[in-house]
Amino acid sequence: MGNYIVKRMMTIIPIFLFATLLTFGMIHLSPVDPAEAYLTAAHIQPTDEILAQKRQEFGLDQPLLVQYVNSVIQISKLDFGVSYVTNKPVWEEVSSRIPATIQLTVGSLIIAILVSVPIGFLAGLKKNSGIDHFSRFLSFFGASIPSFWFGYLLIFFFSVRLDLFPVEGIGTWKHLVLPSLTLALPLIALYTRLLRASVLENLQEPYVLYARARGLHEKVIMGKYLLRVAISPMITGLGMNLGILMTGAIIVEAVFSWPGFGRYFIEAIFNRDVPVIQCYVLLSAGLFLISNLVVDLIQMYIDPRISRKGRQLR
Amino acid sequence: MAIHRKKHQALSIIVFILILSITLLGCTSQSTGDASNSDENKNKLTVAWPRDIGEMNPHVYNPSQLFAQSMIYEPLVSYEEGGELKPHLAESWVISDDGKEYVFTLRQDVEFSDGTQFNAEIVKKNFDAILKNVDIHGWLGFIPMIDQTEVVDEFTFKLTLTEPYYPTIQELAVVRPVRFLGEAGFPEDEDTSKGVAESVGTGPWVLDDYKADEFATFKRNENYWGEIPSVEEIKVKVIPDAETRVLAFEKGDVDLVYGEGVISFDSFIQLESTGSYETSISEPVATRQLVMNTNVEQLSDSRVREALHYGINKEALVEGVTSGLEEKADYILSPNLPYTSNVDVTTVDYNIEKAKQLLDEAGWELPEGKNIREKDGEPLEFDLMFNSAESIQKTMAEALQSEWAELGVKLNIDGVELATQVERFGENEFDMNFYSNYGAPYDPHTFVNIVATEGFGFNEAISAYPNKDEILQQIEAVKQTTDENERQELYTSILGSLQEQGAIVPISYISNVAIYQKNVSNFTFSANRDAHPFEGIAIEE
Repeated sequence: MGNYIVKRMMTIIPIFLFATLLTFGMIHLSPVDPAEAYLTAAHIQPTDEILAQKRQEFGLDQPLLVQYVNSVIQISKLDFGVSYVTNKPVWEEVSSRIPATIQLTVGSLIIAILVSVPIGFLAGLKKNSGIDHFSRFLSFFGASIPSFWFGYLLIFFFSVRLDLFPVEGIGTWKHLVLPSLTLALPLIALYTRLLRASVLENLQEPYVLYARARGLHEKVIMGKYLLRVAISPMITGLGMNLGILMTGAIIVEAVFSWPGFGRYFIEAIFNRDVPVIQCYVLLSAGLFLISNLVVDLIQMYIDPRISRKGRQLR
Repeated sequence: MAIHRKKHQALSIIVFILILSITLLGCTSQSTGDASNSDENKNKLTVAWPRDIGEMNPHVYNPSQLFAQSMIYEPLVSYEEGGELKPHLAESWVISDDGKEYVFTLRQDVEFSDGTQFNAEIVKKNFDAILKNVDIHGWLGFIPMIDQTEVVDEFTFKLTLTEPYYPTIQELAVVRPVRFLGEAGFPEDEDTSKGVAESVGTGPWVLDDYKADEFATFKRNENYWGEIPSVEEIKVKVIPDAETRVLAFEKGDVDLVYGEGVISFDSFIQLESTGSYETSISEPVATRQLVMNTNVEQLSDSRVREALHYGINKEALVEGVTSGLEEKADYILSPNLPYTSNVDVTTVDYNIEKAKQLLDEAGWELPEGKNIREKDGEPLEFDLMFNSAESIQKTMAEALQSEWAELGVKLNIDGVELATQVERFGENEFDMNFYSNYGAPYDPHTFVNIVATEGFGFNEAISAYPNKDEILQQIEAVKQTTDENERQELYTSILGSLQEQGAIVPISYISNVAIYQKNVSNFTFSANRDAHPFEGIAIEE
């Protein structure tokens, strides 16, 4: 098992390096000249002399390979350069905004799990019952409604009409409820379906029949055996769907004036703040890699056959 | 067993519904505390703004917000209604006959918010800090021309330019960079472009509390030399999303929403129609213009440009696209700007027959069975570039597409990012483009300056004008002349000629809108497009 973890960790490094190469390539292939973007953001009329001076300052006059190696070295020290707009270190600005985004994503994960696990599980057990129809409606609704629209609806009913929650901002747990729920909705839709399908599938498995034959209590079979196995694809989903959370957070943070990382990224795009964009892309890549690793480890803990399979394959 | 299972099922559903309702609804009993918030501080105004206010430094640009900078820092001269320039921190000024020397007599009763004296020393210090970074501030015409800054005596400051430049006084009214930071605000190396130690100004407001991306609170400056505001505190909430701003306003969390494009026209009309709120629309702050590139062969013919102008139903555009909140424009610069009120041009009204006739005259005939005009086998076709993030430009482009189709003109519309739009305009890679001028207090001189400078787009776009050189010479002359009458004549001629030849088509006048709760009174827009509108504003209890 230790071996497996080390091996998985080792694969992360080349993938991450590849991500840095892609980001680097994207920025250098795009028609926007970083030096020009800097000057535009600073309201300086770009003359040829200033452009040349800035290119030298940013090291853009060096050969591409040197630039790339330098940028990898810098990134490894968590140095993402200085924002073109605010003139402050990007990492400092980003790290001050990350906690708000984490708060939001954790909040929505909790809501997503609290809502989708019971509904998905019951819908699987009671096929074609009321709860199954409800789960189908929920999945359809959650998958098709755009987040920003759902956000407005929530604000309109729960804040403006009922005055239960604040419209925007951050601070108390009440500020967290509506944005988390908005961000959680597409996940709820997905997990409910996933869990329902998985439960239905597992009900046909011999181990359920065997357990029943042993005369185990239905509650024990469902809770201890079936749920544990059925939930496995959902955990894989959690890792894969981090993307939904990250991109969703951009929209949700804008709608609810949530002072997080996503909103900062949107402003960076409008301002063509290249160092911030680069930092965002790389952090997202890192996050994906790490979350996939964590998911695999959890999977392995739940279902040890996975690591054993790995060993057999070798 | 079956009964037992059913019971069990019911129980799980109940538990689930409980969890769901707790998560969704939260605890209602605690929510009453929130509503009383607004009662605590009755004399407090809450404003919604789309972006963080940024660093409160008078000498920097993006992302610092102009309105907030203007709350703290003040100019020597203020720009008032109708383009009148009035004394502010300078009591009076004298301009030498050659137009190069400006002597300002400063007000003696002005203190910074920390109690230090405002005098010629600090004025010079601020000018010198700005001059350290001429390349950043060079866009403002008079700054690169500054030769000397001198302290004549405690309350007299002298500015010497290398050449005469009449808009100097007008440019001193701009929100940044020439506004004054107190001694305590200067960093050790005195280079304010890198940041300030403290935001000390002479203005009516003082920054009290600030949280990036969340809010900023301004308290009134009790030492203010002018009329002390009646509102004790202004809280600026950062709400980036336009619909959320509207919802927060409807809930009563926000007292005032104002600005350009801060609220959609639909929402504005809808909120106005409820009758529960007050609304206000400012005088024109800029003109929405359509720029035609005369370097494009078809557009080099003035008859084609004129025909297209006749083919624009401006009234329908402002009614349909802006719900009547923008005004149809007859002139390329709105007549409430200085020197613009008596421009003599034939105004063009929608006339489709005239447009068709002009196109026929220019040789663009409609072949049998086709719906696009042709000349020598070439179709009459153009690309119109617009900023895809601006819904008004997009809708107007679509409307033009269908209006001109009636004339037999094919219009392709091309939505691009703002940066690309500016870049392609400057590089003269376009057929048609949307543009809007800077507005007060920059125009008309900044607009004509842009027309005269290469690399901004206009200079190249008007290349087919037979009198282009003459216009450029007049623009050069108008900046230098010290004679008021001559200046007026030159502007009349420049603006008239630019418009008459049809490469710049005025579409509509852009305005600021405001919507506020009924207890807010005395709201007036500042004549300066960028300055805060809180002067005199009051809240009734």
